Amino acid sequence: MTDFKIHHRDGEGVSIIELKGYLDAHTAPDLETAFQKLIDEKKYNVVVNCRDLSYISSAGLGVFMAYVEDIRKNMGDIKLTNMSAKVYNVFDLLGFPLLYEIFKDEQEAVLRFGERKK
Amino acid sequence: MYDVVSVAVKMEFSSLVVIREFVVILSFVLISLYIINRYKSSPHSAPKGISRLFLMIVLSLLFIGIAIIFQPPEFYSRDAMNFYRSAVFMIFSTLITLILAVLALYIMLTLRDLVFFKRKKTTRRYYLAYLVFVFAACAGELSFIHLEDMFIPHIFYAGAICLIVMNSFKQNWIVYLSKREKVYSIVYSILLFISLIMLDVFLASGLGSNNAIVSYSKPLHSFIWLNAIFGTIYFGVAFISTLFHLPTAEVFEKKQSELNSLHNLSRLVTQVFDFNDLVNTVTQMTMEVCDARSVWLELFSFDDKTGEMSVEVVSKKNITHEEIELYGKSDSTQLRRYILDSPKVLLIEDIWFDRRTKSLKEKGVARGSLLSIPLLSHGKLIGVLHATKEFQNSFDQEDIDVMKTFADHVSIAIENSRLIARSIERERYHQEMMVAQKMQKRLLPQQLPVISAVEFAAISESSLEVGGDYYDVINLSDESVGIVIGDVSGKGVSAAFYMAEVKGIVLSLSKICRTPRELLLRANDTLLSSLEKNAFISAVYAVLDISKATLTMARAGHCPVLYISDETSELIKSSGIGLGLTNGSQFEQATEERIIKLKRGDICIFYTDGITEAHNENMEEFGYERLVKIARECRDCSAEAMKDEILNSVKAFIGQETYSDDVTLVVVKWLGNSN
Repeated sequence: MTDFKIHHRDGEGVSIIELKGYLDAHTAPDLETAFQKLIDEKKYNVVVNCRDLSYISSAGLGVFMAYVEDIRKNMGDIKLTNMSAKVYNVFDLLGFPLLYEIFKDEQEAVLRFGERKK
Repeated sequence: MYDVVSVAVKMEFSSLVVIREFVVILSFVLISLYIINRYKSSPHSAPKGISRLFLMIVLSLLFIGIAIIFQPPEFYSRDAMNFYRSAVFMIFSTLITLILAVLALYIMLTLRDLVFFKRKKTTRRYYLAYLVFVFAACAGELSFIHLEDMFIPHIFYAGAICLIVMNSFKQNWIVYLSKREKVYSIVYSILLFISLIMLDVFLASGLGSNNAIVSYSKPLHSFIWLNAIFGTIYFGVAFISTLFHLPTAEVFEKKQSELNSLHNLSRLVTQVFDFNDLVNTVTQMTMEVCDARSVWLELFSFDDKTGEMSVEVVSKKNITHEEIELYGKSDSTQLRRYILDSPKVLLIEDIWFDRRTKSLKEKGVARGSLLSIPLLSHGKLIGVLHATKEFQNSFDQEDIDVMKTFADHVSIAIENSRLIARSIERERYHQEMMVAQKMQKRLLPQQLPVISAVEFAAISESSLEVGGDYYDVINLSDESVGIVIGDVSGKGVSAAFYMAEVKGIVLSLSKICRTPRELLLRANDTLLSSLEKNAFISAVYAVLDISKATLTMARAGHCPVLYISDETSELIKSSGIGLGLTNGSQFEQATEERIIKLKRGDICIFYTDGITEAHNENMEEFGYERLVKIARECRDCSAEAMKDEILNSVKAFIGQETYSDDVTLVVVKWLGNSN
């Protein structure tokens, strides 16, 4: 259960976080740290790639809620991409698609940030 | 008396002698048995036994001396008939033989104790062999045996002397004497040696008093003589070997006291609650064992946040706090710094001239040497045991070793007391959680409403002591019942608090809100202000209208309600967002209501994601399909049976008794007519 990894890379004006494994109450603090770091570095355009995310619990979902307000206040956003059906179902049940933009593909999300800049 | 003499005269003389000898030997054996019995009951340590023996020998020698001075000339004949010639001789010879025989017995018993000290298997054998030869030699002296001219008695004597020599090397008792006792023992051994030689010389002499013994009983004379020789040789050897043991006596004594103190310490270490007792014992023992001038034990504690160190002197002997501070903190010396930097044994041979402590000279600290032993627990420095001695270069390896052992004991005791404190804390926490669990159980319905047209069954189990799942079945009016299920994000205590809050909100709103949607909207408004940013609650609220046979429900991000009818199975996933996730208007827009028209036998199953996300060891999830399938197959069951069936299936699937998430299940079965 505790097998969880975060990979962070920077695109053009966009920070991309790749999640891998199980995001639950035990591993949520790791993601919190990652978000806090982005906010400290004033990187507010965040794409979270969930391609390798196999499970997300309510505590994991809570992490997005904890930081999205700060990020949006600074004209940024968190966009979620590449979710498996199972993970999407968890997001969907809670109504997250109404709160976050969720894309099939990471590139779409990056492009979306670009559009808004113009 | 006259009769006895007249009978004796009539009898043949030799047979009279034999009878007399038997009577003498028999009476001595009886006296011996009495003395041996008495002797056993008296406590006898080696030095005490020796001094008592010495006193007896001196008194006996005095008696002999007086006898020699006053002995009449007829004593000089060794003829056995002497005995019958004069009453004075008769009484005197009986007295001196008895006194010396008893003395010999005491010599024998005292030596037995000394020889048997820390005995081995062979010790007893050699001693018994000695006794056998002594008795054989004595028996050989019986007048009626007539061995005087033969070779055999010489063998007995020679054997006895050989065994005396062999037994004389059993001197283990000396080793265990203290130095003081060894000095005493040297004096007593030499005195005993000399006095016993005097006794030997007397017994070998042709003095009249000696003749009195010989003519009284030859076997007893041999007995006395052999034991006197044994005593002479034994104490001679004892004198020499004590002399050789004397130089090592101090070392041996120190080792002994180390052993004793370690034994006491080990006992104390297990009594963790007497921590002060332990540290005081440690400093006291260091004082004694190392012969130190002053000893003190200081413990360090580090502040968790600032990392600042505080020092507490838990025990000190013969030193003031001011002086300890001089040693420890003085700006120029910073002795504590040295130990903190490298927690190793610190030995300062000369306080005045070592570069690390030389400033202490000006501060008026006395000259001497200092030894500081760090206390380590899990490789971490937790304190230091210090000792000073009056002279330079006076700590030796023994001192270092023994103080290290003491320091280890203190470390273990500290570790023990911390472990106990921690386990008490844990136990307290556990008790609190049990109370919380009990209270949370009471937040859930103790009894479900009993209504003729509906069957209810419900269960909620937490994966930890307390959880964030919540359900309730509320009687709204005669015609309607509210059913709510909720799941607070996260687990444990924080979730449990929110769960209690949700219950309060739902209960109060259920009385005033007309529709499920309205209730959820208002609950969201209330919760939004009180929840932490990362916390939210998923919930379903449904109102069962009994007269209309409808179930109206609204979903706030919760698992879809499973609706089972004869024809269909449906996961009712009406649109909605979790409570506490977004502001009122967005929430209001998103939340829709569903109305289900119930037919007889329809079942609605409310559950939390603990059911659908329950996973087995291959990380497979129980999932919706299994839930739907089981519910479908069991749709003719009662609500209670349905609940048990689902729960058992989940347990069977995960393959263990404990859930990884809170599990809640509410089953509603409609038994009324459809409208």
